Amino acid sequence: MVDLDLDACLERLYKKQLLAECVLREICERTKELLMRESNVVHIRAPVTVVGDIHGQYYDLIEIFRIGGYCPDTNYLFLGDYVDRGLYSIETISLLTVLKLRYPERVQLVRGNHESRAVTQTYGFYTECMRKYGSQQVWQYFTDMFDFLTLSVVIDNSIFCVHGGLSPTIHVLDQIRIIDRFREIPHEGAMADLVWSDPDPDKEEFSISARGAGYTFGKLVVDRFLHLNNMDHILRAHQLCNAGYQVLFDDKLSTVWSAPNYCYRCGNLASILEVGVNGERFFNVFDAAPENDRNPQQAQLKENDPIDYFL
Amino acid sequence: MEVDTKVQPPSANTTATTTTTTDYMDEDTVNPSSEQQQQESQEQSDDLFAVALLIDELKHEDVQYRLNAIKNLPVIAKALGPERTRNELLPFLQECIDDEDEVLVVLAEELSNLTDYLGGIENAYHLLVPLENIAAVEEASVREKAVESLCQLVDNIAPNHVEQYFLPLLKRLSMGEWFTSRTSAAGLYAATYKRVPANVQAELRNMFAQLVRDDSPMVRRAAAKALSTFAEQLSTNDLLGGGLELLQELAQDSQDSVRLLAAEDLVAFGKLFTPEQNSQHLLPIFKALAEDKSWRVRYMVASEYVEIAQAFGEPIVREHFTEPFLSFLDDPEGEVRTAAAGRITGYAQLIDKDVAIERLLPCVRDLVADENQHARAALAKEVSGLALIVGQMPTMEYLLPTFLQQLTDDFPDVRLNVISSLDEINKAIGIERLSQALLPAIHELSEDKQWRIRLAIIEYIPLLAKQFGAQFFEEKLLDLCMAWLRDKVFSIREAATTNLQRLTQVFGAGWAEEAIIPRIQKMATDDNYLHRMTVIFALTTMADALPANTVRDSVLPTVIDLSTDLIPNIRFNVAKSLETMIPLLKQNPATLELISSMVKPTLEKLSIDADGDVKFFATRALETGILIN
Repeated sequence: MVDLDLDACLERLYKKQLLAECVLREICERTKELLMRESNVVHIRAPVTVVGDIHGQYYDLIEIFRIGGYCPDTNYLFLGDYVDRGLYSIETISLLTVLKLRYPERVQLVRGNHESRAVTQTYGFYTECMRKYGSQQVWQYFTDMFDFLTLSVVIDNSIFCVHGGLSPTIHVLDQIRIIDRFREIPHEGAMADLVWSDPDPDKEEFSISARGAGYTFGKLVVDRFLHLNNMDHILRAHQLCNAGYQVLFDDKLSTVWSAPNYCYRCGNLASILEVGVNGERFFNVFDAAPENDRNPQQAQLKENDPIDYFL
Repeated sequence: MEVDTKVQPPSANTTATTTTTTDYMDEDTVNPSSEQQQQESQEQSDDLFAVALLIDELKHEDVQYRLNAIKNLPVIAKALGPERTRNELLPFLQECIDDEDEVLVVLAEELSNLTDYLGGIENAYHLLVPLENIAAVEEASVREKAVESLCQLVDNIAPNHVEQYFLPLLKRLSMGEWFTSRTSAAGLYAATYKRVPANVQAELRNMFAQLVRDDSPMVRRAAAKALSTFAEQLSTNDLLGGGLELLQELAQDSQDSVRLLAAEDLVAFGKLFTPEQNSQHLLPIFKALAEDKSWRVRYMVASEYVEIAQAFGEPIVREHFTEPFLSFLDDPEGEVRTAAAGRITGYAQLIDKDVAIERLLPCVRDLVADENQHARAALAKEVSGLALIVGQMPTMEYLLPTFLQQLTDDFPDVRLNVISSLDEINKAIGIERLSQALLPAIHELSEDKQWRIRLAIIEYIPLLAKQFGAQFFEEKLLDLCMAWLRDKVFSIREAATTNLQRLTQVFGAGWAEEAIIPRIQKMATDDNYLHRMTVIFALTTMADALPANTVRDSVLPTVIDLSTDLIPNIRFNVAKSLETMIPLLKQNPATLELISSMVKPTLEKLSIDADGDVKFFATRALETGILIN
């Protein structure tokens, strides 16, 4: 058993230093034990700051803390997609995992479609682990831990939070609770839908999704779901928003997106959503952190894009 | 998108450095001495096993394994011994030549590390063969590495080997069919030149000249890049003769990508020549390049302006360099103006103060309104340096008016660059004049959308406060300082609390008690927990600048009141705040008893809170602050 000093780990991680492989193994083990006890629908209370996709953009995660406040002073709910595409997936997921372990009551982590073995092999996390650690162990530790992440969170019995969206097979929350989530994300079914679906403002019902997994869903679906479950709002991430966030369906659904200048080239803004005790919702919008420009590796990336997992 | 959940990643081979442990069966007798021998030969065969694995990895499908093996070439070479390294390893590596660039670049570097394992420096020439091949591949970064290693080698091998092996290699590369070999050749001349006798040097000079006149612009560029280091090896005569001629040819090349490299060479040549030679031979070249029709060439000259000027020396600069520089500041191409703008201070240091004031400052005024935002941003960085050079009066007359313009520029980088250098401007003209100029802009900047600009202004407030005095400050700036406590960005709120502490130090505790504390206390009932938290941070930070009765009557009660807040985050920050304040309370006998009367009961109550984090911080505060004395 490795003796873990979580505060020391945090100190390293805030300096963007990697943790040793054996330390990460222990951290992931303990995190699995912690997450195992969480339901597929975790209930929390406001106030909380909700964060969307981060995708390995470590400097922008730090920017989120500079803007929203550091943990544990500020409560955070992260909606998934912590890894892939950015240059620092490992530093990002390590920091979030240790924060969850150290302050379990102040941090909630939800599973995104990128918290998956198949996806991370294509979009960069696996490659990054091989490059920075020389073996695939770290990737295995993290992807095993991803199997334990919860699928949804409800704030104050009023706001339903999930990474992707709704499923045609899920009408009430109990149907989510009975899913066996402790596995790789399947191709189809309720669990896949929750992390892959998207809202469609032009539709009323469920439709086929262009992503090849999950569905698109429209206004009637949203109204029905909120009514059946006695809730007021759906909050999700999963889709890039140029303004950092998007509000749909008469303020019944919001998308929060927290990776500014996505892939270091989309030029979009990002936001974090601050939910107050009286249900107030404030989208705190921000731009990419300046450290992204000063980093020579990134500057080189803009020139010749050698890493092939960028689309 | 297909989502394949059945794919397993490639199974990892065991890595090379595993040590096998010997398992003994129960019936085996363990003989201590033979065990040690066994262990030694076990270690030896472990080493050989490790090396065999490495060698296998050299041929592995996966690039990562090949890379790992190449990085360990010295290990393999050491195990194989000099003969086998020369006869088997090096030829084998030859076959790797159509390998991936990633591998080749590491190979090129590692080959130069093998000189110790070939059986003495007299065998180092064996490395030339694989390196020559690598020097001819398509990928430029790989070729550069090979050239680097070759230069290292030619420095170390014996003179007769230079003639016997290296010169033929150089000739083959210089006359290679593909431009790739010839570009690599250019980089080898400087290193070779110093290791050969005079007659060979003459030959080398001719061969290098051929490269300068090569048909392919890529080769001519490589020659232009190599010219500086090559020129440093030449005697003065050869420099003035052939060397100068080559520079002139390159400076008049049909390709602007070649001409702009000649601009860089000017620096090296300038340093090698005397001032008279510079004036006679280099000055015309410089002038031609500064007026080149291609903006890329002018851009390069502008970027290197200070270095070129320093190489030419003061008299020439004073007479000939200011006009071209002014043209650059007014160049039709934005990039050129930006490059020149970024060098204003550097150049101003090289000329007379009067010239700087008369000629440069008017250009600065024009540049402030330049349509190119990068030019404006580059200028904004330089203005403070200029202020220090030209002195107070010209700064007041020319530069101060431009600050305001820059402080309210559309482009955030301009605003940020000026604000970041306020300290230096302050040194030039003094805080009084600066704050007067700044005041109109402060309100606009304090609401800037870029939070880092708001941050820069906040950090300047205490200095300005001292300047304006309490009354003026309260009228114009106090509301602003309180508003920042509610800013939507945490870092601003944090800076705002530090600001209040510094203001307390400037104006005194009495003033803080009246002007600030009541307003902070009002925030303690804010709906937003982040604002209530700011109250705790502000009071805690200000505490050590406040007198004992204020701490007793205002600070502590407000903080302790929040210990019953419904939100756990507030409660554990109360605990942390009390932990911070305990040492302060201990210092003063008037506040000492507050620890037992107010602080301890609160912490004890919090230490049995339902929330885990509240318990943790309260317990820690009790342990470090109270129980341990």
